[in-house]
Amino acid sequence: MPPWMLAESRRDAAPYVARFESVGVQLPEHRVTSRDLMASTRHHTRIDLERLTGIREHRVCGPNESSLSLAVGAARDCLARSHCRGADLEMVISASITRYVDGTTHRFEPPLSLSIKEAIGASSALSFDVSNACAGMLTGVFLLNDFIRRGEIQRGMVVSGERITGLGENAARDIRSIFSLQLASLTLGDGGAAVIVERAPEGHPGIVLSGFTTLAEHSRLCLGMPAWHQPGARMFTRARKIHKVSMDEGPALIEDILALGGTSLGEVDWMIPHQTSVRAIKAGERVLAEKLGAAPKHMVITVDEYGNTASTTLFLALHRYLTEGRFHAGDKVLLLSVASGLEVGVVLFVMDELEHTHGHAH
Amino acid sequence: MGTRIEAAVTAHRRGHVFGRGALHLTDSAARACLRRAHHQPSELDLLIHAGLYKDRNTAEPALAAIIQEDIGANPGSPPQIGHHGTFSFDVQNGGCGVLTAAQLVDAFVGRGHAHLGMVVAGDADPSPRTSVGFPFAPAAGALLLGRAGNGVGFQAFSTRTFPEHAALFEATLTWHPDAGLAHLGRNVVEVREAPELAGACIEHAVEVAGELLVSCGLHASDVDLVIGSQYPHGFADHVARRLAIPDGRVPVVRSELERAHTAGPIAALEAAIDARQFARATHTLFVTAGAGITIAAALYAQRARA
Repeated sequence: MPPWMLAESRRDAAPYVARFESVGVQLPEHRVTSRDLMASTRHHTRIDLERLTGIREHRVCGPNESSLSLAVGAARDCLARSHCRGADLEMVISASITRYVDGTTHRFEPPLSLSIKEAIGASSALSFDVSNACAGMLTGVFLLNDFIRRGEIQRGMVVSGERITGLGENAARDIRSIFSLQLASLTLGDGGAAVIVERAPEGHPGIVLSGFTTLAEHSRLCLGMPAWHQPGARMFTRARKIHKVSMDEGPALIEDILALGGTSLGEVDWMIPHQTSVRAIKAGERVLAEKLGAAPKHMVITVDEYGNTASTTLFLALHRYLTEGRFHAGDKVLLLSVASGLEVGVVLFVMDELEHTHGHAH
Repeated sequence: MGTRIEAAVTAHRRGHVFGRGALHLTDSAARACLRRAHHQPSELDLLIHAGLYKDRNTAEPALAAIIQEDIGANPGSPPQIGHHGTFSFDVQNGGCGVLTAAQLVDAFVGRGHAHLGMVVAGDADPSPRTSVGFPFAPAAGALLLGRAGNGVGFQAFSTRTFPEHAALFEATLTWHPDAGLAHLGRNVVEVREAPELAGACIEHAVEVAGELLVSCGLHASDVDLVIGSQYPHGFADHVARRLAIPDGRVPVVRSELERAHTAGPIAALEAAIDARQFARATHTLFVTAGAGITIAAALYAQRARA
């Protein structure tokens, strides 16, 4: 393994292989367009958010929805598409940044994972919360993959609900120009996602590699915390600097980790990057092509309709493309997290039954 | 291959309102822990933070990433090919967070995917002027875990939850429109604890730890040392007594750390190391309690069992 990344690949000796068994989501009904959001700013900003980010709209929680309710809804949807029941889960990891149990109450303890596992009947599962910014769900998958490969457990769930658009509402009160450190808060959307990872039947390719590293000298480039004189939270992001670091360092990291899995970017059929903005994803695609001379066959973009749903973006996108029947069995799919920290995480897997159980035919 | 404890160090705050926050304490504990074990920060493969009450209640990024930068654990970018890197993230599992994080480190170190991992945990009241019922001492701890052979290290982990007691302890951050000096409103940390909490934690900890000992083929008298949560107060003493573990096997933690929250087990371990109880112990039982109620227990072997 590259010593700069904590990683696992099929080349390592491990008794089992893990695979994604089911993906579920919960999206609030209410939609807010970028135009509507910018019309709510206190100051006249002249920012064309849709043109700047490619985000047309995002979902916003109603008064009775919370991080917890979105997570529970996604977990139930995931189980409804699965062949297993809640009681079959041996581990439940909650990975959200936001921890709202109602409109304005953030809960430190008990952990959200405890409430989620009880709601879905996974009472005997080992449960805990992971917090790793927008890389939270992929971090959970990384951990589950390890436990399954070692044979410690057969099956677990990673789940997250993000009621995060309050940051955008708070930012809309303060923002005056495109240079505001709260600009990225306007791109956020609410949503929940859940994924079941299980031991793959013998001979199935499943998850080929997974790895993470933290480029911590950039740890303070994006800070989110409760607002001082307002309900909810605020987030301050040096988005240009994060973008620059991602573009400068990302390609070499991706090339190196893919080599660990015995593949290259040109062999990747679908790349699902963290969904920050259409513009950032397309810029990333261009830089990868320039620096590596190769590109994935397809780049997945859902941020235009959902906004940046924080820790859930990768799995909302995976679910969307699955239900649209875009994937085919045998496709190589690369999940890529670049998150505050600066966290860089990848999971490469080969599409199998997931395409049948979640796709068109289903 | 196993995972052995290389060092455990705590840091606590003198003074209350104007003292240093959770991050400063956790950074201090992490640095001191590495020094004590004669390791460089750059050797860390994995850094997990398990604290809950952070300065300004920072929700993003993971505090572990900030600590990684502060202590100089491969913060540079890019991690050059052939150079070393560190992966950092936070785990939250109430008073059981340190043991949950240790289980995760054990998974990677024990299999050889990582050489050295550190669990850090720190809590301090983020807003002492406005918080309600915050019971924990401002304290942090760091636990360094490395590879071991010959059956030394963590042998087994067991975690169970008892949601029927979920209402006995709850900590939230809630918007209060009239709070603050000028009554302009504040997000207020509120901790609510029922009097029955301690009894329920002890009751279920006895159950979980007892089952773990049986599954490991051990009797209570085989346990040489009990490392437990410091909150609820007296938890480890009561659990040891109820399990009929002989007297004198629960380390005495200094008074400043008696109400440490997530760092509580590290405080107990540090006390045991300083008193040479840990070095003499063949079997160490870890038992922790958290809101939920969650009970996490682990068995650690200091020397190879015959």
